[in-house]
Amino acid sequence: MSEASPRRPVSEGKGVKTSEISKPFIPSELARPSNLQKIQQRKLQVKNYPRIKKLEKIGVYSSCKELQDDNCKCNGWKNAQSTSNSGENQTSSQQLTTTVTLQDPCRACNHPLSTHVKHLDAAKDDEINRLLSMIVDVENLVVCVQKEEDTDTKQVYFYLYRLLRKCTLQTSRPVIEGPLGSPPFSQPSIGKAVTNFIIYKFGHLPQKEFQIMHELAKTFIYCLNQETLETPSTRTSRGQADDFNEYKMNYTRWLCYCRVPKFCESLVHHATVDVFGRPLLKSIFPLLRRRILDDFRSDKFHVPPDKRTLILSHFPKFLSMLEEELNASNSPIWDVDFSQMPAHMPLPSPRSNDSLSPGTPGSFPSLFSMTSPMGSLQTPIAVTPSGKRRADSGTQSSDDAKRARSSMQSDNDNTQQDFSLEVINEVVNMITDPAQMLGPEAANLSSQSARDEAARQEERQGLIEFHVVANCANASRQILTWLVEIQNVFARQLPRMPRDYIARLVFDTRHRTLALVKEGRVIGGICFRMFPSQRFTEIVFCAVTSNEQVKGYGTHLMNHLKEYHIKQSMYHFLTYADEYAIGYFKKQGFSKEIKVPRSGYVGYIKDYEGATLMGCELNPRIPYTEFSNIIRKQKEIVKKLIEKKQQQISQVMPGLTCFKDGVRQIPIESIPGIMNTGWKPNSDGKRKEIVESVESLFAPLKAIVQSMR
Amino acid sequence: MTFVECENRVQELLSELHDIIKDTQKQREEGNNNLETIGKTHEKMQGEAKLSTYFKQKLRNLYSVALDDADVECDLLKKGLDIIAKIKALQEEKRIAARLSSYNPLDDQPRKSMRRGVLMSMLQKSAQTLPLWIGKPNEKVPPLCGAVSAGPDYIAKPGDKVAARVRTDEAEEQWILAEVVSFNSSLQKYEVDDIDEEGREHHVLSKRRVVPLAQWKANPETDPEALFPKGALVMALYPQTTCFYRAVISKQPTTAHEDYSVLFEDNSYADGYSPALRVAQKYLVVPKEMREL
Repeated sequence: MSEASPRRPVSEGKGVKTSEISKPFIPSELARPSNLQKIQQRKLQVKNYPRIKKLEKIGVYSSCKELQDDNCKCNGWKNAQSTSNSGENQTSSQQLTTTVTLQDPCRACNHPLSTHVKHLDAAKDDEINRLLSMIVDVENLVVCVQKEEDTDTKQVYFYLYRLLRKCTLQTSRPVIEGPLGSPPFSQPSIGKAVTNFIIYKFGHLPQKEFQIMHELAKTFIYCLNQETLETPSTRTSRGQADDFNEYKMNYTRWLCYCRVPKFCESLVHHATVDVFGRPLLKSIFPLLRRRILDDFRSDKFHVPPDKRTLILSHFPKFLSMLEEELNASNSPIWDVDFSQMPAHMPLPSPRSNDSLSPGTPGSFPSLFSMTSPMGSLQTPIAVTPSGKRRADSGTQSSDDAKRARSSMQSDNDNTQQDFSLEVINEVVNMITDPAQMLGPEAANLSSQSARDEAARQEERQGLIEFHVVANCANASRQILTWLVEIQNVFARQLPRMPRDYIARLVFDTRHRTLALVKEGRVIGGICFRMFPSQRFTEIVFCAVTSNEQVKGYGTHLMNHLKEYHIKQSMYHFLTYADEYAIGYFKKQGFSKEIKVPRSGYVGYIKDYEGATLMGCELNPRIPYTEFSNIIRKQKEIVKKLIEKKQQQISQVMPGLTCFKDGVRQIPIESIPGIMNTGWKPNSDGKRKEIVESVESLFAPLKAIVQSMR
Repeated sequence: MTFVECENRVQELLSELHDIIKDTQKQREEGNNNLETIGKTHEKMQGEAKLSTYFKQKLRNLYSVALDDADVECDLLKKGLDIIAKIKALQEEKRIAARLSSYNPLDDQPRKSMRRGVLMSMLQKSAQTLPLWIGKPNEKVPPLCGAVSAGPDYIAKPGDKVAARVRTDEAEEQWILAEVVSFNSSLQKYEVDDIDEEGREHHVLSKRRVVPLAQWKANPETDPEALFPKGALVMALYPQTTCFYRAVISKQPTTAHEDYSVLFEDNSYADGYSPALRVAQKYLVVPKEMREL
């Protein structure tokens, strides 16, 4: 027999109290706080044993090292004196210390206990305690194996039991091997995606509302980490059988990496939200959603009433929106590269500095940290005044630092030093304070400002408005007036288009028009037709009345159109541009390279002779109407940070004197300070390579210059 | 004057202006006291049946003080306006100098061109800040104020904005907004630059092809005769462009800050005219040949 039968350790183990077992006992419940506490107590108790008692305990799980007897095969010392005792009553340690010595023979192989624990002669207390802790885990797993009714789960417990048993024998550390793979199992993790989600969906909200969403996200993450997954067979019995194998795999991973390690510390614990991604969340979401809401309705977490109302009123919508992103095929929140620096948030507000830190799973936040079922302390949902949080501590600022890094990462690893939050805030404040940056003339349009800045300001002041309008059976008088006006603008500005043709398309019910309204009159617009089945939109007409041109309205119109389409999840524009329009479309990000397959648009889009087909692919993460502003600010920030850095690191070296002394040549790396600049000596091979590549570049570059002349 | 001297001079003038504005406010408050006394005196007089000599004398004194106050305040304001004009002149000088220095034919660096949108907003701003003519009572408005054209002998200075009739690539005649570079008195020809940096071409034009733009706004409240009358035919700068087109005045401005409403001749409209568009006083001219019509 190479493995101990799971029955025997139990007869000696005391991992779980009988009273607990007598209740309907679900092994995974061991992860509940009350049980975790008991396990900790038990471990502490074992740790406080005298050494001999510890050795005995370990001996039970250690093979005999007796070599003379043709390598004794006995794999665990058995106390000869307590032959039939189940061990349940041996809770008193004194009783045992008196009875056991290292010389006591094993009931099975007759070798003394000392031969079983020989490998521990030189072992430090730490190591012995680690083994003991593992043994407690083994004993708990035995109970799990015995009590578990679900076959799949039982198998996993058994596998983990055997793994830990093997590790106690070999005094090694447990490593889960095999087809499960190692965490993380999917990227981005659920935790990351949920953070992305709130930035993506709620990043534009005012601080207070955003804070609520942030709390909801943290609550969700907390709940998911606590969630006991449904066994594959229960799930199948509910009729969810489609992805049985995938779910079973994830369920097994969850047991091995998330659930069991919670009560078996010998295994490395991972938070569910850190190691799993979209596939798992997708498979458990409907049930999870129900359970979370039920838990709050039944007040399982003992949340104070006002917070409970807040959660119950916001959570359903929050979860529905999250579910939508979960199922949407091109949701950006599942993009590994999603930037947590939310582009459409006003960068300088302190809000972006603190409230956006990814909810660190595991360390659970204000809502619950103090309101576990055992405690009754209450912390309010923290709508912390901004700024205050910044000052507080470790986790927060490290998150910020992470974010800062992501936005200005360099491949220079060790020398890369992050800017402290204070520095970044200072810079951000500097660039937002117009007096400091531009002087009193900031309000005027300068040559520095973006093409659409004036239009953006006018929209903010309410001088211009944007409306998407279309003809339909019950169109209002206002909409019809606007349509007539926009048709007139198109007719005037596009003299080569027949008037009736323009009228027909503008009033066609499948065409829509984004109208620019100033002082109650339409002064420009873009007529477009969406082809949802083909995933693209055709730009049909686009014009601004002549006396309102060169004011950035055209750019602002197109940016509004882009944002309108992102809301509808349409990411492609196509248009036939005439020779005068090509310049405009180029400025708006269109190119002659078409990303939509030809078969997708031929026969759909109106083809004009002599016109050029141009296309534009939208990026749903760009807030187009604020884009130029954001880029400008980012540029300023980076510039200021570079200046700061340069001030910090600038260093003056005394200069070389060796040449005066007659030295002709010194190795470059011996010049003081040069290595600090990151300079690396070039090997000869490299230099040769450069020379070769320069030579090979000469001909093509010359050809380019020639063709440009 | 070097660039730095110029900057320093501007700073000096600005602080002078600052003082004058403060003085003006003080003067105005003092004047108000007197005006209030006048008001009160009139109230008291209401009760009396006959105008007594006492009140007569008192009022005479009060009014003469009030007139003096108003004169002092007026002088202060004029001083302030003079300083503003000086600052503008200095800045113009600086701009022309900068322009000349960048005007080096050997310099093959690409000219830093301004985006059209920026140019347009600058043109608008310069029209808004065109100084308002403030004359003495019964003083005749000078040439180049509002609709009053310059005399036949007037020569525009370098840097002045003009409407210039040029021949385009399509061999058509067009009136464009331009800036005077120089005037050759022997040839009686102007050298002008197109204001539009994109097509910044150099033109040498005879005097009759160049019409200087107004240098003062006319105040409709005090000098209505210096405005183009309704229905007058003019050349007007089409909004958001740098070209002048024929237009008819449809509405005069009623305040110094208002623009004209004009109808541009446009065949694409059924009645031959565009809808009313607003054009600043600065950008309306009447070339000689149009006047003769």
